[in-house]
Amino acid sequence: MSSSSSPMQSTGRKLKLKSKDDETFEVEEAVAVKSQIFKYMVEDGVSNGPIPLPNVNGKTLARVLQWCQKHADPTITEDELNKYDAGFIDVDQAVLYDLLMAANYLNIEELLKLACMRVADMIKGKSPDEIRRTFNIKNDFTPEEEEEVRKENAWALGP
Amino acid sequence: MEIASSLITFLSFQPFFVAAIVTVLCLLLALLAVRSVRFPYLETPQSDGVDSVASANKVCNCVCSCNGGFGAPDSEATVAPYVNGGTASMVEKASSVAVAERLTGASMMEQLVPEITTHALSYLDFPSLCRLSMTNSLMRKAANDDNAWKALYHKDFTLEQDSVTPANGWKAYYAATRAIVTINADFFSIIKERSLPAMSHFWLNADYVKCVHASGELFSGYNAVIQSWQLAFNWEHGFNFQVRDVRARVLTDTAWVTMKTYVDIDSGPFNVTNVFELHNGRWYMVHHHSSVLTIDGEVEEPIVHA
Repeated sequence: MSSSSSPMQSTGRKLKLKSKDDETFEVEEAVAVKSQIFKYMVEDGVSNGPIPLPNVNGKTLARVLQWCQKHADPTITEDELNKYDAGFIDVDQAVLYDLLMAANYLNIEELLKLACMRVADMIKGKSPDEIRRTFNIKNDFTPEEEEEVRKENAWALGP
Repeated sequence: MEIASSLITFLSFQPFFVAAIVTVLCLLLALLAVRSVRFPYLETPQSDGVDSVASANKVCNCVCSCNGGFGAPDSEATVAPYVNGGTASMVEKASSVAVAERLTGASMMEQLVPEITTHALSYLDFPSLCRLSMTNSLMRKAANDDNAWKALYHKDFTLEQDSVTPANGWKAYYAATRAIVTINADFFSIIKERSLPAMSHFWLNADYVKCVHASGELFSGYNAVIQSWQLAFNWEHGFNFQVRDVRARVLTDTAWVTMKTYVDIDSGPFNVTNVFELHNGRWYMVHHHSSVLTIDGEVEEPIVHA
């Protein structure tokens, strides 16, 4: 599902982006507008000069732009895209965190959805202990709270 | 004994020598201590993905317990520079752990901004959401979020009741709804099995319970109702039900459920309404009403009274 309803006129223009660690990227408009932020900038005509992105580092921005490139490609099939996405999101938690924050900040709906579903998949079907180990969550419940929580969820998980 | 005493006399004459030996011994012990900490790192192979973070985290936790706190990333990052000739991979692992935990000791899940967490949780089913809430207090708050359970309610049950504000919050309402929907399904299982004992247990033993079968006959009072089911189980055959459009409204000790049942091509579909009451922590059926569903376009002949 494409997020933009009206077809973007391919002006062949490029956008300059600057990550927070001063890495610059040049990307075609058609690719950049996967991000709603850039889409509005382009539509409002305020996309001259390098756009500073103080919340995204160079490594993550490169990854995100690679994703946008793939998804802006008109020749790619849906199957290929799904396969690409599955491989793209199979990353360690540090990278996943950066992708989540970047997709949220740049307002890239499909990438955010992909990353969030990945997080959900990492939770599904696991016991609380397994979830803790996956995400390195520290159990800070007192014994009383543990009992409370167990009762609170008995309806769903059994006593 | 003799060796010891001679050693002592020898040593007392050589203060600098003694000092030097002690210093060397101390250095050796220090090196050994640091080495034993390093060993786990050296043993775990560097691998891609979550594994490296997970294994580093495991080691992290080992050292953590020694340090007695969960400020792991910081201590890991500081141990590295003090070790002479430390391997590059060890330092990398320590820094990746530090990056993953953002030097505040909290996990990735806890670091996300609320809107991202809400979005991620929206893809979970109710058992997973419950299990997540059992991990720690921060996750409990996030996973018990009222809006998350409201959205899940609308996804799993019905879009209706959007304007309702349940007295105990949406998680409790979801739980109560699931209980009622399960019991409602049990009702149809009992009919399928044609088990009179089960049906007798299912209804509340009271004089105000009523049952209106699809035939249009009304039975009032527990005994009459159970008898009517006995009759139904005796002469009707082939109860293959398909129950759809189940809508439940659950209040403190009353609940009512509407649904459509599709039996087979000949008879049905039927509109069904069931009402339950809560007594001593158990839901009992107090009312059942089944009527033929009129399909639009098929105009029934008006009943003419002679």
